[in-house]
Amino acid sequence: MADHKEELKARVFLRSALPLVKVVLSERPNYRYLLYKADGVIQFGAKDSQQAAWVAMSPEGFEVKPGLHENPTISLIFKRLKDLNTFFAGGTALPSVSGVKGVPTLLRFLPFMLKLKILMPTAMPTDPAEKELKVRMLMQMIASGLSQLNKGGDEFLSSYIKKSPDRVFQFTVENGGPANYLRIKAGNSKAGAGTYARRRPYVHMIFKDIDSAFEVLTQRVGTVEAVRDGLLRVEGAMEGSKDIGAFMQHLDKLTMG
Amino acid sequence: MAQGLTWTVEDADSMTQAEIYGEVLTQIGQQNEKVVALTADLAKSTKIGRFWEKIPERFYNFGIAEANMIAVASGMAETGLIPVVSTFATFASMRAAEFVRTDLCYQKRNVKIIATHSGTSFGTAGTTHHCIEDLSIMRTFPGMTVIAPADAYETARAVSAAIEMEGPVYIRIGRGFEPPLHKSMDFDFEIGKAIELREGTDVTVIATGVTVLHAVEAADRAQQQGVSVRVLDMHTIKPLDVEAVVRAVQDTRRIITVEDHSTIGGLGTAVADAIAASGKGCAFAKLGYQDEYSIVGYPEDLLHIYKLDADGILETIGLVLKQDFEQDENWEDEI
Repeated sequence: MADHKEELKARVFLRSALPLVKVVLSERPNYRYLLYKADGVIQFGAKDSQQAAWVAMSPEGFEVKPGLHENPTISLIFKRLKDLNTFFAGGTALPSVSGVKGVPTLLRFLPFMLKLKILMPTAMPTDPAEKELKVRMLMQMIASGLSQLNKGGDEFLSSYIKKSPDRVFQFTVENGGPANYLRIKAGNSKAGAGTYARRRPYVHMIFKDIDSAFEVLTQRVGTVEAVRDGLLRVEGAMEGSKDIGAFMQHLDKLTMG
Repeated sequence: MAQGLTWTVEDADSMTQAEIYGEVLTQIGQQNEKVVALTADLAKSTKIGRFWEKIPERFYNFGIAEANMIAVASGMAETGLIPVVSTFATFASMRAAEFVRTDLCYQKRNVKIIATHSGTSFGTAGTTHHCIEDLSIMRTFPGMTVIAPADAYETARAVSAAIEMEGPVYIRIGRGFEPPLHKSMDFDFEIGKAIELREGTDVTVIATGVTVLHAVEAADRAQQQGVSVRVLDMHTIKPLDVEAVVRAVQDTRRIITVEDHSTIGGLGTAVADAIAASGKGCAFAKLGYQDEYSIVGYPEDLLHIYKLDADGILETIGLVLKQDFEQDENWEDEI
């Protein structure tokens, strides 16, 4: 049985990072040819844990769901959950593969998987399109990762969210750029895409542009400096901006530490 | 027993604060010869006596005859004068109600009523001298502007603004011993525009009159507990600042109204009307006298007992934060 920290880590990788293949597909239409006549299900999991997720590929796109698929085309099962986490964190760990007929499906999926490596702290693209892709993925990853940590019982997040009234942490890149939010309320959490329209955010982090968001989210520029230099504007409760900063660091430490 | 603010004291400084509006009215009268002051045997109690001392030729005492006073004020207004009528709220709004309706509002007369001792501010005088119905009554008269300033400074600004505008105005104030909210008269005041005294995103407290100060104290105490409370000083009940109300609903989704008045027909009702018309949903609580007459006592004790002071507002903030109204209960992550 994997320990709680590994369970949380895997939860974030499988439920927050793996679904980002959908972002890759929407931002890279030239990848769509890989889905031509695609019809298969890839299962990810580990022998010592219930943590699992599957990706169904079809010409329409991806469906990513937690849990075990009843009839996967190919399964990548790691001996230990720790190995699955190493794999998703960019390290070397090999799963046992079952379902030879699913190899073509896996080969079609690999370019999308490899694109997830853009999330790695060491990936610092200079191409504007790649930068935007990384920003879009990081923003969704942060909102979704924090929500999943709460749902998985991470003590740091859960204890805070349990006591929280209905609050929204909003991330926005100005001038029609990407936007994501994390809504929390009395133990519940939800990561969403776009702008939460039903109430004003408790904290709203507004990046000036993609480059500004890239500098801040990759931690090349601290938030204080970013605010000073006009890369970032923070509206709402100041104490809340401190809290979300601590959460983001916690997520980063857990997944990459 | 009471944990409310203690301001029923013989404090010379507080007395000076309370008399600010009387002073301002006198200054306005000295600058504008059209302004005349009328009272019904309450010149000293209502602070309009200052006007009498300085400009006796334009001061009229009608004795205990409030309805007659309103009728005469209407006639004076017809000649181009600007009558400022001052008496207790209970007499202005109820004893003289028909005259206010027919002689002032129906005739669209340019008369300003300064109704003192409103709410339970005259607490020890008993229920006959409390006035928890006036906002409701005055709001219903077409054309009447209704203002409930938070302190003496705001009263002075309200009196100035009321004289600048055309038409009947009802200004509701307390006994005059209330502690000040503002430090001076140097703040933005516009009839029909709420003043945002505290920013906040968790809940909005919309208060009027003497309760505004308590709302601010409650917000500051809530802030120490990590709860972000917006405070709106809704000094004008009619016309209501609907834009500020709707913005508060949109921004915080939880609204509390506080008034030293019945919860029926006053600020709470006006805010509820605005929310309903906006089509937006929110958690909502009205603080005031819940279809009951107040007991007799010191005003600060009464505000505490009826949960209209900072303690009561803070308690209600806690309840409203827990109130589960939200339709949006989908907690599935969008991935």
